[in-house]
Amino acid sequence: MIASTAVCEAEAAGLQPVPAKTAAAAVAVPETIQVVSSRLGTYEVPRDKVLTLERGLVGLPAARRFVVVDHRPGSPFRWLLCLDDPELAFVVADPVEVVPGYAPPLAEAASALGCVPEEVAVMVLVTIPRDPREVSVNLLAPVAIDLSRRSGCQLVLEGSRLDPAHRLARPQD
Amino acid sequence: MGMLVLTRRVGERVHIGEDVTVRVLAIRGAAVSLGFAAPASVAVVREEIVDAVRTENRRAALARPEELVGVDAWFGEGSEG
Repeated sequence: MIASTAVCEAEAAGLQPVPAKTAAAAVAVPETIQVVSSRLGTYEVPRDKVLTLERGLVGLPAARRFVVVDHRPGSPFRWLLCLDDPELAFVVADPVEVVPGYAPPLAEAASALGCVPEEVAVMVLVTIPRDPREVSVNLLAPVAIDLSRRSGCQLVLEGSRLDPAHRLARPQD
Repeated sequence: MGMLVLTRRVGERVHIGEDVTVRVLAIRGAAVSLGFAAPASVAVVREEIVDAVRTENRRAALARPEELVGVDAWFGEGSEG
């Protein structure tokens, strides 16, 4: 789960059904869209789950619309699928879950996104080399999301000296 | 878009668009110290950092579901949530 109370509340709140006495009585159903991934297949996701990165990712400016889908319940790893390119997919993780002592750059992200720190969620792109034990995460350029607007950017933390290929340690090691 | 070449002395500034300025702060030997003033929404990043991120993004984009299964298993091995 992305570490943020805002997203937990939003997920828990679900949908508000329209009261039955209105003339066009109907239960509000989320509009869903189809997301096709050449790697993972087809998903049906609520339209309001779509994240928009206005400038795309570094080196991929046309990759602007994404959704996050689960890999396995309970896994810290999820998939970031690109709606604009079915061939494009990334493994992502909440860095707070996989990097002990990680302090999310909420202030920098809020500044870059034009929102308040409370609305920020941060995820990192995961690189899986040939040996899966060398799995790493890009701490230098996390993906920061403004949860209220479902917009975001890949935030390059220039000057931070953080590692774009930070090797993960297993929690029990 | 071609390259605009300007010559500046220490202390002099260049304006880029409405919101960005660059100032030459110091010249020490072969190195120029530059000061950037830009809104937080504009990323100012050294090229080698951009290259490093672009390269890592490309590597990350190669991840396959079967590889994630292995990573997920390895990561969770021995620790019961």
